[in-house]
Amino acid sequence: MTASVTQTPPSGRRLRAPKFTMAIPGMFWYVFFYAIPVAFVVIYSFGRKPPTNSKGFVRLDKLSFDNYSAVWEPAFRHVFVNTMLIAGLGTILCILISMPIAYYIAVKTGPKLRGLLLVLIIVPFWMSFFIRTAAWRIVLAANGLLSNFLIDHGLRTTKISFLDTKEAVFLAIVYNYLPLMIFPLFVSLDRIEPALREASKDLGAGRIKTFFSVTLPLAGPGLTAGAVLVFIPLAGDFVTATVLGGAKGNMIGRNIYSLVIESQNLPKGAAAAMLLIVMILGMLAAAALIVGLVKYGLKQSRRVDIAGVTA
Amino acid sequence: MTTAAVVTPSGPRQRDWPRTALAVWTTLCILFLLIPIGFVIVHSLNGGNSFNIWKKFGGLTWYRKIWNDIPFRNTLLNSFKAAVGSTIIALFIGAFAGVAVARRQGRWTKPFLALLFLILVTPEIIDAVALLGWFNSVIKGPFQNGLFGVRGGMLSLWVGHSLFSSAVVTLIVRARLDGLDESLEEAAADLGATPARVFRQITLPLMTPALAASGMLSLSFSLDNTIMSSFISGNASTYPVYLLGTVKSSTKPSAGAGAVVLFVATLLAATATVIVLRRSGQSSSEIASNLAAG
Repeated sequence: MTASVTQTPPSGRRLRAPKFTMAIPGMFWYVFFYAIPVAFVVIYSFGRKPPTNSKGFVRLDKLSFDNYSAVWEPAFRHVFVNTMLIAGLGTILCILISMPIAYYIAVKTGPKLRGLLLVLIIVPFWMSFFIRTAAWRIVLAANGLLSNFLIDHGLRTTKISFLDTKEAVFLAIVYNYLPLMIFPLFVSLDRIEPALREASKDLGAGRIKTFFSVTLPLAGPGLTAGAVLVFIPLAGDFVTATVLGGAKGNMIGRNIYSLVIESQNLPKGAAAAMLLIVMILGMLAAAALIVGLVKYGLKQSRRVDIAGVTA
Repeated sequence: MTTAAVVTPSGPRQRDWPRTALAVWTTLCILFLLIPIGFVIVHSLNGGNSFNIWKKFGGLTWYRKIWNDIPFRNTLLNSFKAAVGSTIIALFIGAFAGVAVARRQGRWTKPFLALLFLILVTPEIIDAVALLGWFNSVIKGPFQNGLFGVRGGMLSLWVGHSLFSSAVVTLIVRARLDGLDESLEEAAADLGATPARVFRQITLPLMTPALAASGMLSLSFSLDNTIMSSFISGNASTYPVYLLGTVKSSTKPSAGAGAVVLFVATLLAATATVIVLRRSGQSSSEIASNLAAG
């Protein structure tokens, strides 16, 4: 009996494959279809486009920064700046709009209503985002439903001209990215123990003070996840903003697409893609820095407050 | 006594107005998300020639038209094929990788998770440029000429769409297994089950909810994927890529009809997923958060 028990483990160990065996398909897939191809993009960005009518996508015989200076010309730079502004402002709008929604669902609803609301927020994802967004044109066009309604009821004398404006760009963005912000916020708010809010209330904090000094800091991870989940895809998206915003919604992804697909200039497109990554990282770092400074400032000001009380 | 008398009348009223305000805001925002879906469904039944301007009720005219329009129908079919193919790949990779990350940790785990994280945060357009260059100028072969009757563009879509979703599947499977302790699997192994048998009979049923939810996510990512597909779909153009091409011209009701067909198919898949999850005893809000973000 004892002999068989002591014997089994060594033989089992001898047969056991390395621990990462089951991750091998994934490793292969990610190295072969992600890591290496992305490394190639870095290399391509220093190459040059082969002359027309010759074979291949890229010449790597003379590496240079030419592509980078080409995509940093004023016309391009303008689009880069515009992209960052649209993505940054779009993310902030999504945070402001979804915070009350996530708070309501996580804190104020029972399990039944909660499930229903969450499903209703997911359902839009199941229909083509393009056609859903384009459907706003039915309502908002110059001769659309809203315009006609307002004129028929004497509320306006002229047709509305909302489409193809900056505001239309943000309508399309908020419409498409809102759920991506609501869910991580909901998950992090849902994890906060109700006891913490009650304790804050018992200690004399009002509703607003409790929200800003207890709930919001604890929702930090969800806020970060939501911001990253919205900002990064949005910065590379070149469709959403143009569906309602037309030319006002031009973003750098559109330029990358036309460089790579239409003018078959992979090296220049690769350089623009690299620059996009650098700018995204820069914006995220700047946001982290600002949040850090604000937190530090609040800490300092509160410390002074408490010192005054105890003194 | 006195405190109770003071608190009771003002209490509920004070508590009520923020709740009402939040409820109203949430309702308005959900309506904002849902109303366009209603418009798409209604306007796909338009008898006129434009998606945007309602003329008269035309019944299923446009549905019949897209059925007879073979290039259009093919874009819908390609969307289905891409979604199903990439989801199968993502589930295969993610199921095994998720088990490995949750149950077989070692020095390899951290770098592997770092790679997953990078894949999740890389803007889609970067992957798109990378895979286009990779397929067209480095590997070529099957990704241009096809393999076993599957077009090159479709193979490219399977690979491209599965990158992000397999990472999501891995993380959801890992989260599910992290929440369950390993004693069942250990017990099976102690009773003499081979590792393969433990996986098939214990681990796989335990992670079915995670696979169902993440598979559903993977399907909907793929069906709506536009950016990556517009770069790499090549000769297997999908429905979103077709729509992208129609941006400049006016939208026809057929575009709405196509979207409704895909919507109904996705709803059916979602219902099936919810049934699987219900059977495994998850509550509705757990199901919803699983379906949404895992």
